[in-house]
Amino acid sequence: MLSLPPLAAEPIFHIGSFPITNAYINSTLGVVVFAVFAYFLNRSAKKYYATGAPKGLVNFFEYLIEFVLGYIDGVTHDRKKTMKFLPIVGGMFFFILFSNWVGLLPGTGSFGLYRGGEFLPILRPANTDLNLTLAMAVFAVVASHILGIFTIGFFKYANKFIKFGDIYQAIKSLSPIKILVAFIEFFVGLIEVFSEVAKMVSLSLRLFGNIFAGEVLLTVLASLIAGYGAFLIPIPFMLLELIVGIVQATVFSMLTLVYLSIATSEIHGHVEENHQEIEVSEVEAI
Amino acid sequence: MIDLNQISQLIIPVAHAQEAAASSGGIAVLGLNVKFFIAQLINFGILLLIFWKWILPGVTKAMQARTERIEKSLTDADRIEKEKKEFDIWRQAEMGKARTEASSIVTAAQTEAGNAKQAILDQTKQDQQKLVDQAKTQIESEKNKALQDAKGELADLVINATEKILRKKLDSKVDQEYIKESLGLVK
Repeated sequence: MLSLPPLAAEPIFHIGSFPITNAYINSTLGVVVFAVFAYFLNRSAKKYYATGAPKGLVNFFEYLIEFVLGYIDGVTHDRKKTMKFLPIVGGMFFFILFSNWVGLLPGTGSFGLYRGGEFLPILRPANTDLNLTLAMAVFAVVASHILGIFTIGFFKYANKFIKFGDIYQAIKSLSPIKILVAFIEFFVGLIEVFSEVAKMVSLSLRLFGNIFAGEVLLTVLASLIAGYGAFLIPIPFMLLELIVGIVQATVFSMLTLVYLSIATSEIHGHVEENHQEIEVSEVEAI
Repeated sequence: MIDLNQISQLIIPVAHAQEAAASSGGIAVLGLNVKFFIAQLINFGILLLIFWKWILPGVTKAMQARTERIEKSLTDADRIEKEKKEFDIWRQAEMGKARTEASSIVTAAQTEAGNAKQAILDQTKQDQQKLVDQAKTQIESEKNKALQDAKGELADLVINATEKILRKKLDSKVDQEYIKESLGLVK
């Protein structure tokens, strides 16, 4: 009997009146794994940094951080900014990657319990829960606004969306063309407010859609052919899912990085703004 | 083999989802729920906090320190290289000066040594001449003295021989023998 994963995560048990879903268990598992990793990393770091060159886990993590720093540097072109964005972008990247890949391990989707004749997997890839992807998207966009306000100031930042300043300057210049352009830009600014909501929706749905589609694909492929074929056919697609996992983690974190970068940079002109928008659309195209 | 019944089973949940979406306004079928959203947001926040406060600092601080150390080492290496070049130039100049100085010292020493040698040679020649003169004088006086002694001895011998001849009144043949004998003693 083919059992496709439902769109919504399934509650497994309750803590008080709060239902704990299988996707929530996976995301909590991610937090626990990160905490354990942090413990061992700090222990190794203390040991190796005291004696000299890092080895093993610390060395491997340093390599990963160097890799991520290189990517962030490529967008920010400023190491100070890179270090400021690293906790958000790096944390996001590693968490999404971990959640995507852990969903491919045996046990996720296969261990579960039967309730009312229906099979409920105890573990489900965390990113197949839209609540998590939306939470991350909201966090990314809100963080970009907060950092933007703290970096360039509230009024300058607000002028990116509500361009009263431009209208005032245009009226002061008494040039009809400038006034017309200022009014058009004012309405473009208002559209920008809606685009912020679109950012959250697109970020969350893209990640959710890709990972959920992967789950469905693997389930369908495993169910289509009986016998050993059920084990063999999904293998190439699991490898493909490994790539999808890393690509989606990169896309989500890179878009967040671009949002952060745009929000924290002063507007010098339309050329630069357009260039940044092109960068965003290139990443989104992936 | 692909089972068509199973493919039809794939379509049924999608149809159910569409029905549910239509009945619940679309968003509930995706599982969106404020409570779950907040719970996931908190989970994600905790994770970022762990990453930010607990994972990154140990490694990034060490990396930063290492980068600074490498940059400092490179700066120091550049400075040392520059200082080495300056030192080489200074050393070359000093070596040139020292060589010139040494050369003049050697020349002066050679001149002085030549003079000293000449003086010593002159002095030695004088001393040698003096010694030779002294030796000659001494030999002359010794020779004279020896001659005087020999003359005296000869005279004594002649006197002795004469006395013996006269005492024994010997013939001329015996005289000759005595004289020869006496002369043989002189030699």
